[in-house]
Amino acid sequence: MLKNITLGQYFPGDSFIHRLDPRTKLLATVALIAIVFVAQGFSGFLLIAAFVVACAVSTGIHLKFLIRGLKPIMLIIIFTFFLNLFFQTGGNELVHIGFLRITDQGLRTAAFMATRLILLVVCSQLLTLTTSPIALTDGLESLFRPLEAIHFPAHEIAMMMSIALRFIPTLMDEADKIMKAQKARGANFETGSLVQRAKAMVPLLVPLFVGAFRRAEDLALAMDARCYRGGAGRTRMKQLKFGKNDLLAGLAILLLLAAVIGLNAIKAF
Amino acid sequence: MPIEVKHLTHVYMPGTPFEAKALSEVSLSIRDGEFVGIIGHTGSGKSTLITHLNGLEHSEPGVVFVNGVDLGEKDTDLIAIRRVVGLVFQYPEYQLFEETVAKDVAFGPTNLGLDAGEISERVQTALKQVGLDPASVSEKSPFELSGGQKRRVAIAGVLAMRPSILILDEPAAGLDPSGRRDMFDLIRGIHASGVTVVMVSHSMDDVGRLCDRLFVLNRGEIAYSGTPAEVFVHESKLHAIGLDVPECAKLARRLRDAGFDMPEGIYRTEDVCAAIMDNLTQKGDAKC
Ligand SMILES: Nc1ncnc2c1ncn2[C@@H]1O[C@H](COP(=O)(O)OP(=O)(O)OP(=O)(O)O)[C@@H](O)[C@H]1O
Ligand SMILES: [Mg+2]
Repeated sequence: MLKNITLGQYFPGDSFIHRLDPRTKLLATVALIAIVFVAQGFSGFLLIAAFVVACAVSTGIHLKFLIRGLKPIMLIIIFTFFLNLFFQTGGNELVHIGFLRITDQGLRTAAFMATRLILLVVCSQLLTLTTSPIALTDGLESLFRPLEAIHFPAHEIAMMMSIALRFIPTLMDEADKIMKAQKARGANFETGSLVQRAKAMVPLLVPLFVGAFRRAEDLALAMDARCYRGGAGRTRMKQLKFGKNDLLAGLAILLLLAAVIGLNAIKAF
Repeated sequence: MPIEVKHLTHVYMPGTPFEAKALSEVSLSIRDGEFVGIIGHTGSGKSTLITHLNGLEHSEPGVVFVNGVDLGEKDTDLIAIRRVVGLVFQYPEYQLFEETVAKDVAFGPTNLGLDAGEISERVQTALKQVGLDPASVSEKSPFELSGGQKRRVAIAGVLAMRPSILILDEPAAGLDPSGRRDMFDLIRGIHASGVTVVMVSHSMDDVGRLCDRLFVLNRGEIAYSGTPAEVFVHESKLHAIGLDVPECAKLARRLRDAGFDMPEGIYRTEDVCAAIMDNLTQKGDAKC
């Protein structure tokens, strides 16, 4: 049951993309998403897809993990597809069944929107698959640092995020253990009506919350004992540094952007 | 044969980069009324093994039989198995959740569908069995109790299901010396009442003192098995896999190495003391 919740889906590795500065990867992902929106035709999408697949292959991560991220939003994609298919009524009619009319333009828009959604998800998958959650928060903190001038609590938010990320696996482990312990006492989490199942969660949730609060208290004490007092003046063990590779990655993204704009300009399919 | 395990292999998270083989080709059998110890270094697969013994985990290949019932069969009634095989997890005090101790202990029997009278009778008996006074603790919140008391309540929660096989994962972890002694006395008492006991532990001293038979796990495989005396013979090899033999067994071996007449395979404090006394009196006799 707990197996199908994957939050930290980082795949450790040592590829070019793995070694990039997390800030580069964050910015590149934002840029990629922007490029997906810039593209106006399938040729652009094809190019972007080729780029993303090439990146994925270079990291050594199996493509099935890239696809797996689509599962949770499959419903949205299908919904978008059919919405566009049935309600875009311009263009030449292809099929007419009862009150439903499918036109060539509708089909095109539907496919276009669905592809765009898929590409958006796959691009962000590439980021989370190759960047550890901790590196990700470090990168975010560093990117949002400048906003501290306008009292945006970048450090605090990043700290909360890294603590949350650090404890998600621990809590999942604990939930698994408690669940087994209660099952050993004859608890049944799997069958029964909705109300019964909700009730069955009590023996799981109470110990889980008690444990979470205990951990939070311990952690707060441990941080206090080591004189933690917020982000001001803190140095880090792992300094983020842009290198030559980051420049190369930036250039690759720019090139992709230029190519997509070019395809738009010549109105390729 | 109450428990029989054949060729059990378990892999965590197969097909991912985090794949970890926790058990490989484990076979063992546990007889009625035995007190069995499972011992191994951290991460050797002890906890994984015992979660297979009441069907919480299931893996292919491998079969686990409890009283002749194959736990891997689809139509096996696992609730019925869990009523026979009681499992007390490591740090069981963290599974308490009810408002009162009595309600928490009643959780298992309630899940078995017993009637109210039977449940309250079982709760009383189980609390007494673990050395708690039902009158004074029943209505308390389990969260008010001390760590050792919480653990007793958790064990009572399993005992209230009246299992004929009781498995305990490191029951003495984190207790002080007197708490450990009480815990072992408690377990010995449960065993004496006719329950087959399987105890997981890190400590050779503890399993040596209590168990009839030991299984030593090393990296998911059974490295040694047999009576404590048979296992403790492998002192240096046990040392190499991160385990130790009881202090008294070590003392006996060193005395034997130094030329004293110490019998092989003694490890109990009493036996070693007696052997030393024998040596001393023999020498004394020779001198006079
Ligand atoms: N839920 C899990 N997911 C992935 N791997 C696990 C999981 N639980 C245990 N493992 C791995 O399986 C191996 C055996 O673990 P197990 O908990 O059975 O060991 P153990 O002998 O009980 O150790 P300990 O003495 O620390 O309790 C370990 O290497 C551990 O890292
Ligand atoms: Mg364990």
